[in-house]
Amino acid sequence: MSKISDNDLYGTNFSIESMKVIAESIGIGNLADDAAKELADDVSYRVKHIIQDAAKFMNHAKRTKLIQSDIDSALKVKNIEPQYGFQSAEPLPFRFASGGGRELHFIEEKEVDLNDLLQNLNPKAPLECALRSHWLFIDGVQPTIPENPPPVAKTTQKLESVDPINKKPAKETSGKPTTGKQKLRNVETVQIKQLATHELSVEQQLYYKEITEACVGSDEGRRAEALQSLSSDPGLHEMLPRMCTFIIEGVRVNVVQNNLAILIYLMRMVKALLDNQSLYLEKYLHELIPSVTTCIVSKQFCNRPDQDNHWALRDFASRLMSQICKNFNTSTNNIQTRVTRMFCNALNQADKVPLSSLYGALQGLSELGTEVARIFILPKIKVIGARIESHLEGSLISNIDKTASGHIKQLLIKVLAPILKTIRDPPDNLEEYKQEYGYLGIALHNAVIKARTQPNPVTTVPSNISGTITSSSSITRTVTTPTGIIQQNSNTGRTIVMNPPRVSTQQGNQKFVFVTQRPQTPIGASQSQTNTSTQQNTVVKFVSNAAGQTQQKLTGQQKLVVVSNPMQTNFSTQSSGLMSPTSQPPAMLISKSSFALQQQQSQQLQPPTVDDLSHLA
Amino acid sequence: MDKGQIAAVLQILKRYNLKGTEELLRKEASLEDNADEDVLQPDSSVSSVLTGYKSDGDPETYEASYMELKHFVEGTLDIYKHELGTILYPVFVHMYLELVYNGHTEKAVALMKKFGPEQDSYYQDDLKKLALVMKPDHMNGNELADTFKSNQFIIRISRDTLSLLKRHLNDKKASVLLNIIQEHLYFDMYEGVARNKKQIDATSGAIGGEAKRQDNKTKVYYGIPKLPDIQSLSAPVEEEEEVGDQDNPDKPKKKKAKKDPLFSKKTKSDPNAPPADRIPVPELKDNDKLEKVKALREASKRIVLGPELLPSCCCYTLLNANYSVCCAEVSEDSSMLAVGFNDSIIKVFTLVPQKLKAMKSAEQLEEVNIEAEDVLVRMMDERSGETSRKLCGHGGAVYSVSFSPDRALLLSCSEDTTIRLWSLQIWTCLVVYKGHMFPVWDVKFSPLGYYFASASYDRTARLWATDHYQPLRLFTGHFSDVNCIQFHPNSNYVATGSSDRRVCLWDCATGNHVRLMTGHKSPIHALAFSVCGRFLASSGTDSGVLIWDLSHGHLIAQLMGHERAVHCLAFSRCGNVLVSAGLDCSMKIWDFTKLTEDASSEEVNVSHNPDVKIGTEYLIRDFATKNSPLINLHFTRRNLLLAVAIFDGTNV
Repeated sequence: MSKISDNDLYGTNFSIESMKVIAESIGIGNLADDAAKELADDVSYRVKHIIQDAAKFMNHAKRTKLIQSDIDSALKVKNIEPQYGFQSAEPLPFRFASGGGRELHFIEEKEVDLNDLLQNLNPKAPLECALRSHWLFIDGVQPTIPENPPPVAKTTQKLESVDPINKKPAKETSGKPTTGKQKLRNVETVQIKQLATHELSVEQQLYYKEITEACVGSDEGRRAEALQSLSSDPGLHEMLPRMCTFIIEGVRVNVVQNNLAILIYLMRMVKALLDNQSLYLEKYLHELIPSVTTCIVSKQFCNRPDQDNHWALRDFASRLMSQICKNFNTSTNNIQTRVTRMFCNALNQADKVPLSSLYGALQGLSELGTEVARIFILPKIKVIGARIESHLEGSLISNIDKTASGHIKQLLIKVLAPILKTIRDPPDNLEEYKQEYGYLGIALHNAVIKARTQPNPVTTVPSNISGTITSSSSITRTVTTPTGIIQQNSNTGRTIVMNPPRVSTQQGNQKFVFVTQRPQTPIGASQSQTNTSTQQNTVVKFVSNAAGQTQQKLTGQQKLVVVSNPMQTNFSTQSSGLMSPTSQPPAMLISKSSFALQQQQSQQLQPPTVDDLSHLA
Repeated sequence: MDKGQIAAVLQILKRYNLKGTEELLRKEASLEDNADEDVLQPDSSVSSVLTGYKSDGDPETYEASYMELKHFVEGTLDIYKHELGTILYPVFVHMYLELVYNGHTEKAVALMKKFGPEQDSYYQDDLKKLALVMKPDHMNGNELADTFKSNQFIIRISRDTLSLLKRHLNDKKASVLLNIIQEHLYFDMYEGVARNKKQIDATSGAIGGEAKRQDNKTKVYYGIPKLPDIQSLSAPVEEEEEVGDQDNPDKPKKKKAKKDPLFSKKTKSDPNAPPADRIPVPELKDNDKLEKVKALREASKRIVLGPELLPSCCCYTLLNANYSVCCAEVSEDSSMLAVGFNDSIIKVFTLVPQKLKAMKSAEQLEEVNIEAEDVLVRMMDERSGETSRKLCGHGGAVYSVSFSPDRALLLSCSEDTTIRLWSLQIWTCLVVYKGHMFPVWDVKFSPLGYYFASASYDRTARLWATDHYQPLRLFTGHFSDVNCIQFHPNSNYVATGSSDRRVCLWDCATGNHVRLMTGHKSPIHALAFSVCGRFLASSGTDSGVLIWDLSHGHLIAQLMGHERAVHCLAFSRCGNVLVSAGLDCSMKIWDFTKLTEDASSEEVNVSHNPDVKIGTEYLIRDFATKNSPLINLHFTRRNLLLAVAIFDGTNV
């Protein structure tokens, strides 16, 4: 087919080549050019005609996508036998590919494993159409419930923060005449942004109080609920500035007071806000980024730096930073560049900054991706190696510095080994490594050799003198994505639930922690039955007694992220009792109904066991 | 008719062996038998005679003469320029078709490529369709080419402008142009000042050109007659007494109530209301009266909406229904919701705590005491209550459903070309109405029951009565599919909206069209009459909502704001508010009272369309749903808004 250009009344036509290929496929070898031309013209005309008619059927079915049955109906109307065997309930997902100056639209056809087909004797029945009622608005006011779109759409929030002058007048004023203002606008060149009052309703104030208390309080169960609400409630837009202020001030105060636990909680709040689909944090980044950075590179977070696991906070905050960079980096704000530069500055003074800050900077850089790590960390490795060598092997050994150096070493090996594996060619010469990477050469050499022999490059278990053995910090999340059974929640319906029935045994100096993970679906019982990817991961952790205690706690903490989108589950789980097909208008209207729902949900969850961070406080 | 045409008709009659007709025609046209030989021509000539596209014009001259016409239009005074500009499009189209018809495809394509893109933007879609026609044989069966071929394009033009054009044509003697203008264009001339660009743009855009003045001259009884049984209803206590002997005494009473409005002023009846016996209506049954009383009681609790008091809306979202639901309809008393599916099923949901019950079996019915007060309740099987029921029978997608006013019947129309009548008491199909030859797009019960109207792909709308297999009236005249149909609140008229972008009002009593309104720029998909009966709102895929005044057929407002096709419109029961919603997942509330006040405050010039109100000043508020295109709107008797939406999970 030839290319389509805009505003061309004639559009595309079948080419002569297409006709010839089609003719060949039905056994007509040498179709004359004239005949092919004639055919191509006629076929193009007929096909376009049919598509025009099919569009009528699409319009009458009140759709905006053409589906196969529309074409069939159009053929039927023209008294042509419809094409059998191309039925599909949904429009075909056309893929687009271009290359070599050609553009191609095609349908991706999946390979079907016949064994699966044979074993799955009863194919899944399509879900029955059901009715659900909710208040769209009451006396002209739209309630903030999961069934309704968020009061300020994410796109408008985004627009507002990127281009505040072009802010559209609020919906409420759209009905009233605004001629006076507009006239003024034409005369004066200075545009003044309208003052917006942000008054929180009593309910919102209560909510704010509850949430902030729960987030930094001692009850882990309530915290989980509060964080879940923060990460999924659609109506938080108005409270966002206050939440951010809470976090910023909290970080400022607690860093000084060395209150590690609170800092962790605050970072979890940032994470929850980042995860909220209906919020756009761009406007508050200038406040949040310094706070997060503080939690990565600050010199000291706790009173006992040799015992408490402030490393985990640095790791967690680094991940947050990389998430922020990923979400909000644009060509105008250059967040990633600026963050990278900031960490590099710390690296450049590798012999002056405290070891804990050095660790934070390294971790922050490594979370930004392997490319960043390769460019910025690798050249510095010799200097860093020299510095930690003195702490690890030297005679004047301070326990704090030793631990810190151990962590740095471990981190560097973990990050750099996969990179070295790819940039260096197989014969790994120990001497070369020593020459190039100094003190860390030996350890890196070992790690690379190991990585080459192991099929799984992620987990590196270095044996080093400090005796701390940790499994790789890759987060073990189990995301259950329903495989096509429920069409509504394909991308955002996340149900991440961990259920750790654990056995701890004390063996001399070491502690074995078995964490069994099983994807669970708290509400949609039907999901787990049909979910084929149900699997059991057993993670075994060897944790030394000294530094490990806190480590173990923190891993637990990271995993106890319970994220679910209540709105999604509402809409999709037909079989559950949450949804009644009877169609009574919703009886009560509270802006926090999703919060209530979450409470329900989390009651079904098992409260987090052993790992309670409260003792840290 | 000239001889050539008569000969062509005779030839056809002969071919189909219709001897009687042939002889009659011969006699009437006083043609001798031997004339047969004179005009005996090859078959192909038949079509050529009838199309009127046969032309010996030099294909080279077309482009030049169009250019020349364009220069002439651009060179005239500004006051005439825009009105003259309206002839460019039809002339262009006919030139293209003439070139194609005579086999000069390259010339035609060159013409289209050169001048097509500069035509008005709302004609571009049509030009794309026309551009498909590249061979003479493509012209058969092409809807648009057929329409242009067999209908004159109507252009409203002032006397001055027309004389200017005539002078020009006489001066130039451009035969190609002259032919086209004489054969295919119809000038509807009016006295007065030529219209400006804005006025012309407001009413142009339809396939066959603008409406003639003649089309909108007939008087329309757009008023609402007084409720025939209002006396009995105002005192519901009396109702019971009347029930006993209602048959005879009630009838004259009704008649009296209907007739007296003209001379009894205290009843304050609408002077524009039709006489009550204009169309025959079946008598009301006891049950209907009880229903009316109930409705009136409910109505007394209604809140009056306005910009200060906005409605509440309960949204019914259909889940797991993406790409499978075609239509939905809520019954008048808001107790039931019917949904038509792509896979030919109809589902009825109850929206109230009462479940959907079926009638008892024949044996059990015999035991029911007919004299009992609550015989209708006793008839139903208590144990059969369900919250939703399925109706199966159609053989194609169900495009529309409609409840009868008494809620006992449901109508549905389908892609399988049939209309079906279903009983909501025994839950089976009662009648299959066959008449349409092509998919039926819309069907509506009359507000009084008994009558219903349908609209179809076959370009006709039909009026039916439930007890007749054949349609009572056939409304023909649209150039393309009739997409939607709506009964006037007084049941005397039906309005149709079509893909030819015209709204038409038909008189049920005569079957004639009484209003023809142009101004839409794309197919029309929804219609709604105002509560007072004087205004009509229409909307379609061009995402604008247009308001028409039926008293003169004028376009009075163009409510813009939607981004996609608008498939549902609803007036509040108090008539103050218009709600529109569509596939862009948004719902807009318009201040209709303000609109009508503004419109009536202006002086009405009968022959001229008044200035069309455009803009958002009538928009009170808009609301969005969460990825759920809206397919139906309904105001309950108490003015609660019900919306039906389909949740589209694929776009989340």
